[in-house]
Amino acid sequence: MRLEYHGFQERREIHLPKLQTYDETEDQYFGKIDTRGSLERLIRDMFSFRNDSRQVIITVFVTAVAGTLYPLSLGLAINSILSRNSAGLVFYGILFLLLYIVQFFSNRIRTISSTRVAQSTIKSLRDRALGNLQRVPLKFFGNVKTGYLISRITNDGEALSEFLTFQLPQVISGISTVVISISIMFYLDWRLTLYALIAIPALIGFTFAIQPRVRRNYLGTRRTIAAITGNLSENINAIRLIKSFGAEDRTAEQFSKLNGNNYRSNMKAQRLSSIYGSIIRVIEAAGITTVIIAGGVQLVSGLVTIGIMVAFVVYLQEFFDPVVQLSQTYTSYQSAMVGVGRIYAIIDTEGEKAEFRGSISAGFGKSIDIKDMSFSYGDENAIDSISMSIPKGSKIGVVGHTGAGKTTLSNIIMKFIDTTGGSVTIDGLDLRSIETSSYRKLIAPVLQEQFLFRGSIYDNVIFNRPDISRETVDRLSVSFGFDAIFAGMDHGLDTSIGEMGRNLSEGQRQAISIMRALVREPEILVMDEPTSQIDPESERVIMAALSKYLAGRTLILITHRFSMISLVDNIIVLDHGRKVEEGKFEELLKSGGTFAKLYGIQTEV
Amino acid sequence: MSSNLFKKILWVFDPLLFSFKYISRKKWALYAVIIAAIISTIARLYVPLLIGDSVSSIENLDLRGLEYFAILIIVVTAISAAFQFIVNYGSQFIGQTYSFNLRNNVFNHLVRKSFSFFEGQTTGDLLSRTTMDIEASRNFITSTLSQLIPTIFMIVFGLYFLLTINWVYAAVFILSVPLMVYIGMVFQRKQRLHWRSIRGYYGRMNEELQENIIGQRTIRGFSAEEWEISKFMSTTDSYYQEYVQVAKLRGLYNNLLPLVLGGAATVILIYGGYSSLISSASVGPLVAAINIFTLVSPSVSSIGRLIVFSENARAGIQRINDVISEEYVEKLDRGAGAPLSSDLEFENVSFSRGNRKILDSLSFSISGGEFVGITGKTATGKSTLVNLMLRFYDPDFGSIRIGGVDIRSLPLTVLRRMISIVPQEITLLSGTIRENIAYGSPGASMDEIRSAADIANISAFIETLHEGYDTLVGERGITLSGGQKQRIAVARAILGKPQVLILDDSTSSVDPETELEMFRMIKSSLRGMTVINVTHRHSAMKYADRVFKLDHGSITLLHDESGMQDASGVSRIPGEEGDPSA
Repeated sequence: MRLEYHGFQERREIHLPKLQTYDETEDQYFGKIDTRGSLERLIRDMFSFRNDSRQVIITVFVTAVAGTLYPLSLGLAINSILSRNSAGLVFYGILFLLLYIVQFFSNRIRTISSTRVAQSTIKSLRDRALGNLQRVPLKFFGNVKTGYLISRITNDGEALSEFLTFQLPQVISGISTVVISISIMFYLDWRLTLYALIAIPALIGFTFAIQPRVRRNYLGTRRTIAAITGNLSENINAIRLIKSFGAEDRTAEQFSKLNGNNYRSNMKAQRLSSIYGSIIRVIEAAGITTVIIAGGVQLVSGLVTIGIMVAFVVYLQEFFDPVVQLSQTYTSYQSAMVGVGRIYAIIDTEGEKAEFRGSISAGFGKSIDIKDMSFSYGDENAIDSISMSIPKGSKIGVVGHTGAGKTTLSNIIMKFIDTTGGSVTIDGLDLRSIETSSYRKLIAPVLQEQFLFRGSIYDNVIFNRPDISRETVDRLSVSFGFDAIFAGMDHGLDTSIGEMGRNLSEGQRQAISIMRALVREPEILVMDEPTSQIDPESERVIMAALSKYLAGRTLILITHRFSMISLVDNIIVLDHGRKVEEGKFEELLKSGGTFAKLYGIQTEV
Repeated sequence: MSSNLFKKILWVFDPLLFSFKYISRKKWALYAVIIAAIISTIARLYVPLLIGDSVSSIENLDLRGLEYFAILIIVVTAISAAFQFIVNYGSQFIGQTYSFNLRNNVFNHLVRKSFSFFEGQTTGDLLSRTTMDIEASRNFITSTLSQLIPTIFMIVFGLYFLLTINWVYAAVFILSVPLMVYIGMVFQRKQRLHWRSIRGYYGRMNEELQENIIGQRTIRGFSAEEWEISKFMSTTDSYYQEYVQVAKLRGLYNNLLPLVLGGAATVILIYGGYSSLISSASVGPLVAAINIFTLVSPSVSSIGRLIVFSENARAGIQRINDVISEEYVEKLDRGAGAPLSSDLEFENVSFSRGNRKILDSLSFSISGGEFVGITGKTATGKSTLVNLMLRFYDPDFGSIRIGGVDIRSLPLTVLRRMISIVPQEITLLSGTIRENIAYGSPGASMDEIRSAADIANISAFIETLHEGYDTLVGERGITLSGGQKQRIAVARAILGKPQVLILDDSTSSVDPETELEMFRMIKSSLRGMTVINVTHRHSAMKYADRVFKLDHGSITLLHDESGMQDASGVSRIPGEEGDPSA
């Protein structure tokens, strides 16, 4: 007789494909995930939300006590009926209802406060992970794939969220109910308790015996659905390719194969879980029969009352759910712990070294000087002992072939990476000692990979500076001819650019990136191939406006193209990481060196 | 009013009607599930009666009767469990069959949809149609069969059994069951909106993370770290708040149901107890009645959830219908019959998008075997022009002819085999380099693949790789530079020996020397192939026989082999002065 209420089976509407595939390299990068240490740390994190976690503990206890007392009061009510004690019946009947009311309130508080604890913990984990990603050295992102990081912070966070919000509270209250019930049962009648518990080892043994198979089946269904999702997203992205080569039938056949795999592995998993469900029911019935027969025998010998026996039947039924849940939760517990371990690994990744972060506020009065500076990614020097000076107000061009070290040089000037030899100073102070963000406020970069955020063109231009006025942007747009580049857009600068600027052409993306830098009116402008995708006519308009704009500003222009070279007054030529030439445009052209050759190749038409 | 309610009830089962198409050959499974559900439910409800009878036997100190009933409990439970297996497994079988067939159907339609269909969709949206929406309707079908139908039988038979015990118990049942259904429904309705927001914030979290990580250099370059952190924190905070709202609803409604159950059980206990107390009747029936109540109530409260499932399923089916409708589906018409020559002719071709005229009555022709350049400003419709040739779109007016045949009268597969395109953005599929090059011609021999790679100037690079042509590319494979990808794509396009090769700005990341070498090879090794090179880079024009310029929707001949400029007055090759690479 089951008085314990199951509640809604919580079934989330979010079905996230948990792709458990090629994360191995990244996991290796972070080293072994310490599941046990993560658990302790997670518990500490959860208890740091003191008020809510205190409420959870109290209400779990109250719920469990009330939950174990009502079968007893039901039993005592039945005893009162049998002993013709109407006052007793009313008393225990009302007690029975009161216990339900107590449970209602304590469960209500428990639901809310346990969710608070769980979700505050998740929020803080996610916030801390993202926060740390802003501090780690940039080379970290070269080692760890974007997809991996996103999946850790969202997917793993979600698995943890589900575990902490829904499963953990259920299991904790289930276990505490079992523990308190068994104590009461032993107190009431230890012999009948032993009979009542006979079915439990069978239940636990059976459940845990099939767990490995359940888990294997589960992973099978996840893997096959992940294969479907992966195949789909690849094919949707490649739809143009599929059509161009008429590969529609072939692609559909491949998909159908994956779909069939998924069908089979689902059916396999369902067969097992359906059998499991049916067998559990029979074990439960066997347990009840044992209590009834044993109780009946003892009753005849006067050892037990009917009410107590009825209470025992209820207790027995209440053990089944927590045990079944416990076994099911174990799988999600394991994956939640691996997940939280990985999130901690992201949180713990060391940020940039303190001596590189610097502490002196930056100022730019005289010059930036690079002396005998080298940089290497591994064995070979990407930059080999370069010296140059960038006086305030000068316009420097850095040219050379692909792979000559131009972008590395700009990364060093941007203070994205540290040198491995020599020095970079600003007004005589070592760049390392300069506080990074104050230094970067002097500079605005136009990077080679222009990154655009979701939102409008205008949003992307102002980015983190909401103080920049609309008029400023519009004025700039007109004077540089950007308005013509965006003329075809439906809402001008307010047009939404789509996921990472998908709706834009490469040239338009570059235009946004240039505007973003210029609108900040920086002292130093660092541009890396800023106009490579912009058509020559628009480029000329930009150049004309730029030469006016640059008055009084410092320019570092990196390019392997020559269309913008007229902007600079000093050119540095790099080749294989070394500075091979330096001088003015005409001088370099006349000297017939690397620069002239580079120029020659590209003009030979 | 009542007919309205009736309609609503029917509407709940709408997804079932939709699903019949996909399970038509497995109807027998459906009948089996329904029959098994009836037997299993009756057997299950019979167990409480047996428990009650056992209690009565104990009261009467009838040990034999007790043994009899105890054994019967196990037997009846076993029968119920066996049929329950049929219900569970059978409904999963139907649900999985449904989603398997439907998913195949959706995919078959999806790959045949025209290009304009994909333009209005995001990848994520299409993905969710083929996974989540199908899942939602499958979920409803499975739960209807394994839960809703058994629950309905349970209510009917439960009521019947209670009536045989005592009509007051039955009355309490009739009052409390609808209340529980109602509470369950209200809860699911209210909770659903919050889940939707949670899903929304979760998606936003994903997007923000992705942008943040990919944009790290930009973010640091502009010192926007704090800005980004606070943006993300406000999203995680909204997510948190929604979760707490859900918890408040769960806290109330989820616990209200046991309270209703407890109330009903108390009424039965006190009323039934009191009447058996005065009549000295057995307590067995009372125990049985309470047991029936507690058996039925969890299933009853799940009806509310099923109604919401049905709403989700209907919404999902509506979106799926967009995909499996015949709208936007291309007719591929496999078959032969290609025109003999590869002369291309554009006659008065116009194309607009929305209100914007992109191509305005364009007329020009390219003769077979020519190497033609098409240049023009950023976003002037160069790619549109190319897309028209492959019939990714059709022109609003005018016609395009190949070998004198209007391309609209050619089967699409024939047309697309004749014309091969290398687009601006290269897609390589996960797999080996060899598989990628041979994508359009899976039967190609290694020699053919190698010679295509030679012409595309990528073979030397591939041979430096450890595993050569068997090197994996894509997410699991090696990272290729933009230029390397573009050259592989060129090899892929020329392997099928198309009559027309279109390079749509597809050498932008290849360095100028390699690029020129590649064009030289294409020109010398693939004689007779018409090449259309679309680009604004001047260096790419060296091998062009003629160069056209696209501007404001019309086309002009810039120069031809003899170096002659046309009469339109455009005398300058774009980017000539001081801009040799542009």
